[in-house]
Amino acid sequence: MSRVILVVDDSPTMRGMVSHALNEAGFETKEAENGKDALIKLTTMEVGGTKPDVIVTDINMPEMDGIELVREIRKLSAFKHVPVLVLTTDNTDEKKEVGRAAGATGWLVKPFDSELILKVIRKVLP
Amino acid sequence: MNGDYSKFLQTFFEEVTEHLAVLESGLLILEQNPNDVEVLNRIFRSVHTIKGAGPMFGFTTMSRFAHEVETVLDPLRNRKFSATREIIDLLLESADCLKMLVEAAKNGTVIDESKTVRDLEARLETCMIIPAPAPGQKTTSGPSSTAPAAPPPVTSVRRTYQISWIPDEDLFQRGLNPLKLFEEIGRMGTIRSCVLATSRLPDFADLDPQRCYLSWTCTLETEYPCADIESVFEFAASPGGLTIASLPSSSSSAKPTQEADPQLAHSVIGEEDDPRLAEVFFGQRSDSLGVILVEQKAVTPAQLAKALDRQETLRAKSKDQKVETSMRVDTEKVDKLVNLVGELAITQSMLSALGARFEIEHLPILQERLLQLERNTREIQERVMGIRMLPIGTAFSRFPRLVRDLSAKMRKKIQLAISGEETELDKTVIEAIGDPLTHLVRNACDHALEPPEERVAAGKPEQGTIRLNSFHEGGKICITVEDDGRGLNRDKILAKAIKQGIITGNDTLPDDQVWALIFRPGFTTTEELTDVSGRGVGMDIVKRNVEELGGLVNIKTVTGRGTIFTLNLPLTLAIIEGMTIRVGQDKYIVPLLSILESIQPKADMVTTFIGKGEGVNIRGVFYPILRLYEVFNLQPQHKNPAEAILLILEAEGDRVVVMVDEILGQQQVVIKSIEENFRKVDGVAGATILGDGTVGLILDVRGLMKMARQEQSIAV
Amino acid sequence: MTAVAAQGSGQQQGIGAEDNQFLTFSLGDELYGIDIHRVKEIKGYSAITKIPNMPSHIKGVLNLRGTIVPIVELRTAFGMPTIDYTAFTVIILVIVRDRTLGLVVDSVSDVVHMSQKDIQASPDFGTKIDVKFLSGIGKSGDKLVALLNIDQLLTEGCMQEAAAATA
Repeated sequence: MSRVILVVDDSPTMRGMVSHALNEAGFETKEAENGKDALIKLTTMEVGGTKPDVIVTDINMPEMDGIELVREIRKLSAFKHVPVLVLTTDNTDEKKEVGRAAGATGWLVKPFDSELILKVIRKVLP
Repeated sequence: MNGDYSKFLQTFFEEVTEHLAVLESGLLILEQNPNDVEVLNRIFRSVHTIKGAGPMFGFTTMSRFAHEVETVLDPLRNRKFSATREIIDLLLESADCLKMLVEAAKNGTVIDESKTVRDLEARLETCMIIPAPAPGQKTTSGPSSTAPAAPPPVTSVRRTYQISWIPDEDLFQRGLNPLKLFEEIGRMGTIRSCVLATSRLPDFADLDPQRCYLSWTCTLETEYPCADIESVFEFAASPGGLTIASLPSSSSSAKPTQEADPQLAHSVIGEEDDPRLAEVFFGQRSDSLGVILVEQKAVTPAQLAKALDRQETLRAKSKDQKVETSMRVDTEKVDKLVNLVGELAITQSMLSALGARFEIEHLPILQERLLQLERNTREIQERVMGIRMLPIGTAFSRFPRLVRDLSAKMRKKIQLAISGEETELDKTVIEAIGDPLTHLVRNACDHALEPPEERVAAGKPEQGTIRLNSFHEGGKICITVEDDGRGLNRDKILAKAIKQGIITGNDTLPDDQVWALIFRPGFTTTEELTDVSGRGVGMDIVKRNVEELGGLVNIKTVTGRGTIFTLNLPLTLAIIEGMTIRVGQDKYIVPLLSILESIQPKADMVTTFIGKGEGVNIRGVFYPILRLYEVFNLQPQHKNPAEAILLILEAEGDRVVVMVDEILGQQQVVIKSIEENFRKVDGVAGATILGDGTVGLILDVRGLMKMARQEQSIAV
Repeated sequence: MTAVAAQGSGQQQGIGAEDNQFLTFSLGDELYGIDIHRVKEIKGYSAITKIPNMPSHIKGVLNLRGTIVPIVELRTAFGMPTIDYTAFTVIILVIVRDRTLGLVVDSVSDVVHMSQKDIQASPDFGTKIDVKFLSGIGKSGDKLVALLNIDQLLTEGCMQEAAAATA
């Protein structure tokens, strides 16, 4: 059974490119366009009996941003232990610290290197 | 960034265009409510997205510029600063510049206006001046330097830049020494960190000591603008070899310079792993968070160069290909269509089953299923046409900005009210209607609306209003442009028309025909030409464009109170309402929009005037009669107008009466091209497939009139 | 009626094509041939809509699955008298320079194969039609087939405007 990765970003271009890179490597992807949408997708998956193996999320999104999403995910017992990778342009210590405190597993910077992302993902997959 | 992402370019541009629109409209809202945090967040995100996605395709200037804009928007949205009118003007100018950068990127043209970009960047950098630091805090040049101290910076804002530099391999051979360059940067501020990347070093055996394989990433705190930093590296890096990014100042916090030796990466990551992984994961070295992800950054400029190359190849390729257009479609529309096609498939298989073993007593069921088929097909047809339909709001979106700029330019107070933006019409019509609407709006701003003093003197509110509205009516779409300005002046128009020889001194023209005069080519009543409009070439083009779309323009005006232009357009270009008529054995289709009236004349209405030919008198007006069978060489049933039907048709302001044998009925007709395999036929606008599968020809009223005129002149 | 699918539109003339296959048809008791590569389809005769003010050899236009196609009455084009249509009358749809055109003929015969040596240039051979429409005369078994120059058909009369329009 192939692995599923949830890609969260409000930019369709970004979602498309990340999914593309992941699909090429054999991962199945699902997409959400902001934090709120992602939570809905996660709940739907839970009801269906599945859950993503990894979540990759942007920070700057309308409705609910990435940091809040991570916090919410960590509150849900079903997804508490799903690795969450942040993919953002922001590389400041401050922001990274906020991300770490919220419960993010890793911090990746845009423009993304597909090779690096795949290595990171393989690293965090159980 | 590796991998081929060229196919995402189009999505990228679509997305960026949307974000640019959000930016502009947001800024205009901000003008009225400078503290609207929601709007500020929205436009911040839009600029942020442009900045973030740009580098993935190699658009560094666009991205760097977006970053500058973002740097101004950030304190605004965090309420550290309040947006003044000057700042908003600057932001609007920046939005324009961004638009230009995107266009250049899209078309692959080189950005020539580097000066504009640089100017704006400098202004953006200085627009939020923080009080200058006390004299003692300024960085001074080291006493050991033999070079003169760098001139004092223009701004007093201290910023942090991250400089990624991959020198050309022949750096040494050109006599350049990296150390000297770093010294020079050091004089411009404080180097907070500097990290070496050795990823390009080949095996020792292949090493050429005269080539430079090293690259660096360093952070520099300085008051100098980015342009000055770049000039230090002017001869030291080829395009793509130098990236300078502005960082929020907190990232340079007092962490000491570290050489991020990747070999020191902590342990959860195995030794054979990619050293970059150490920087990604949390929880191992909380003290190393201050180190910039060097390897990753160092790789980026090279990846950038690769992406630029790829872009070059793409551009070469795309020049030969046709321009691909695409459109966003509401998924709901597509879903409904998918369902309908499913229903169609079911109906079809039901008919199939029936046909396999048909007996005559099944006839009622057959008829019922055929009816079902008709319903399915009609609904699918409507929905498919609906897919090409977009809300007219997209055509209206340029006007808030236009009116704002024009009203400032002309020192008039004008507000724009828009309604009906959700009214949908065909994509091609939306694209074509932009120019005519723009001209009407400009015209309203320029001529119709009076300056504030004049308005007040006339007892009107100081601020003039232009109202754009759109709605469906009678199977067509109506767009209105209304103003509460001067209105049209009948006497002035008549005087001008007489002077230009368009009409004779005939003062008894009904009002609507007087207003129609302004659509004549070359007509203008303004004394001086402004550069906005008034050249007299606008209105006739508006009318022509609208008519080419199969529509009509209508004017209503009250002198002193205002004017309203109404554009009546078909919902889609490919389908028109047609009236089928018969001449002898031949059928033709007349576009319904051109038909004013149809009558069965009485014998005494038809007369022949010497020099004017045959005509019919309708309510006191004399119209020439066009015998369709003569123009088309057909065999008619009736040659006597009193036994035939006369259709009063209008095209381009001229009216003609066409004689036919019978009106058969009205129907919606899908326009098909004759020119595809054949050629343009005089008097025929296009073709369609009739219910019986044969081809029906659609009449071109304008063409018919021309043909009739030619025949007449030959005959006389 | 059967439809014959063409292998691509090919811009070659009848002579010199790789495999020299021709669709033969008759006008009166004369046999004519068209390079098979130019033949798109054969269709039974169906109602043609007249186009006003056209030369007599342009019969009008036809609906071919949603596309409007002009139809040429070959007899008239070649100066022959017209006859009443029969059950055998067909329309041959040919491709000329990216356009589709229909030719009304009395009936179609076989697709024949002719090798280069069976084909001669067309002198005044006693055929009824103007030599400029022919690209050669071929021999198939014991019959003579007049090979048509399709492109020439396009430049005659009204079709001239079509050619000019595409320029």
